[in-house]
Amino acid sequence: MSSVRQGVAIGTAGKASVVLAVVTAQAIAFGACYLAGVPTLYLGVAILTGAFLGWRSDLGWFGLGIAAFGVVLLLALGMPLVLFVLRLEPDLVAEAALSPDVHRMLYLTIYGPLLAALVALLFGVPLAFLLARGFAGQAIVESLVDLPLVVPHSVAGILILFGFGRRGLFPELSILTTTVGLVLALTFVSSPYAVNAAREGFEAIDDRLEYAARSHGASPFESFRRVQVPLAARGILTGGLLAWARSVSEFGAVAVVAYSVRFFYPVAWQESVSQLAPVFIYNTYTSQGLAEAGAVSAILLLLSGAVFLAIRSIAYDDARVGP
Amino acid sequence: MSLEVDVAATFSATGAEPFEIEVSLSVGTGETLVVLGPSGSGKTLLLETVAGYHGHEGVVRADGEDVTDRPPEDRDFGFVFQNYALFPHMTVRENVAFGTRYHPEGRDPEALLSELGITDLAERTPRTLSGGEAQRVALARSLAIRPSTLLLDEPLSALDVPTRETLRTDLAETIADVTALYVTHNRTTALELADRIAVMRDGQVVQTGSPDDVFEHPATPFVAGFTGSNCVPAVEWADAVADGTVAEGERLAIRPEHVVLGESGATATVERATRGDVGHRVRLGREGTAVEAYTTDPPAVGDETTVRFPTDRVTRLQREADRD
Repeated sequence: MSSVRQGVAIGTAGKASVVLAVVTAQAIAFGACYLAGVPTLYLGVAILTGAFLGWRSDLGWFGLGIAAFGVVLLLALGMPLVLFVLRLEPDLVAEAALSPDVHRMLYLTIYGPLLAALVALLFGVPLAFLLARGFAGQAIVESLVDLPLVVPHSVAGILILFGFGRRGLFPELSILTTTVGLVLALTFVSSPYAVNAAREGFEAIDDRLEYAARSHGASPFESFRRVQVPLAARGILTGGLLAWARSVSEFGAVAVVAYSVRFFYPVAWQESVSQLAPVFIYNTYTSQGLAEAGAVSAILLLLSGAVFLAIRSIAYDDARVGP
Repeated sequence: MSLEVDVAATFSATGAEPFEIEVSLSVGTGETLVVLGPSGSGKTLLLETVAGYHGHEGVVRADGEDVTDRPPEDRDFGFVFQNYALFPHMTVRENVAFGTRYHPEGRDPEALLSELGITDLAERTPRTLSGGEAQRVALARSLAIRPSTLLLDEPLSALDVPTRETLRTDLAETIADVTALYVTHNRTTALELADRIAVMRDGQVVQTGSPDDVFEHPATPFVAGFTGSNCVPAVEWADAVADGTVAEGERLAIRPEHVVLGESGATATVERATRGDVGHRVRLGREGTAVEAYTTDPPAVGDETTVRFPTDRVTRLQREADRD
């Protein structure tokens, strides 16, 4: 809500040149504070700037108040990132980027969540379709789908061990420290994102398009294949990306089920062992220190940034094309 | 192909009273039956029920064959929607050809595009079409499967007036030989397209007949009002009828174009006169009630004039005939 208000405020306050001027002034102010060794001082400058812009918007004193509060959150989100980038040690980043251990970790961090996202979509899209249509007892199913969103993820890991571990549903299935266990844990925590985004995609489709497909001869499956899935494709894709991104950042469930993972590493063409990025970074931090963990984090941050941009570009496409 | 419908269904939605429809009607081969009724009368639900989208009691027969238990795709009905319901991810050509995959006996999409004058739109997507163009595409898509019956849900109502008039004329030609069930709230459309009209209210058909029957001889005060007739208490307007005999509670229905002014009959005051496409429409008040009439020579507002209802044009209705 506050970002929308701010958007309105900035939009009415001026043009691109004003935005550029504000950003430049902020960069100079931050640079001066940082070089003077008092970065804390910049927080005051940023809040005052936000308050001033809010006051100058068509919201007046109310704009001043909400912009000032909004800026506090922006600072909390943005400043760690800025300071992180400024304090990175390029040598360590380069070293991490060339490390085979990091390569294995990155491969696992792309591959494991990708499998989890595909599994979440394979079984989540049919469920999303049913939820979008509605059925008796839907509330129970919805609660179950959303359960991973509210369960602490270490608890999710424990649930998976109970469900699929040695005395669980598939006693022969080895899940501790295996790719299967990793994918199970990641699917468990990320599937609500896949199901809910796909469901929104299906819900946005006018019922009459299904009626039209059926009346003109399409069976329910043909209607699903030729009309509903193509029209919900953006929601399904967004769901897959969200599930992937959520999986990449998973720590709790993975730490319980698959702290270290044995997997086939095609670069070396042999089985290998590594950890999912969050576990790997935590390990690096505890065993080597903040600077080393920061270097690996920088590489992961680039990866996450690319995913974020991909999701944003899809969202923008949605806004442009309209319902 | 003929269509016989005898259905009853109840529809419920959150926060609304359950709505029931109970309708019997039949459409002869090549006939266009227009279901005419106000918003909320259940016209669209009726059409969707016939199409097989909603469960119902009773029976739907196509050409004598019971299709009640068949899913929509096996009923062989084309459906044209008010909002077109074109597939937005397909081109016009793909939309028109959509059903031919399932209906090998269907028509050549290219020929239909040409017949409906939309060949030049073939590669466009629905988002780039005007309302009139989109509705032609929707019509072509339905005709392409060579449906036994065409179901049309207010296909003209979302269009601007000139487009609606052009398309209405084209539609009349296109569906002239097609068995069609057409629902609308627009009486001009009903008059122009219908072989027969069924007037619907609150989920039930209250009168079925030829356009002349329904418009000239409404069965209830509701039908009279909805088809544009005057419908006034007989006691107040007894002098306007030739023999002057009226019964208590009786109502007189007469179309505005049949009301005769300035010759003889009941005295009424001109309350309003507005210029129309042809002549003037005047409102004549008498004892708290009013009738509308057309004239080329309108008296001044406030003047008194005489009003006569020709005997052969007036329909006598009982108030009780209306469920209100």
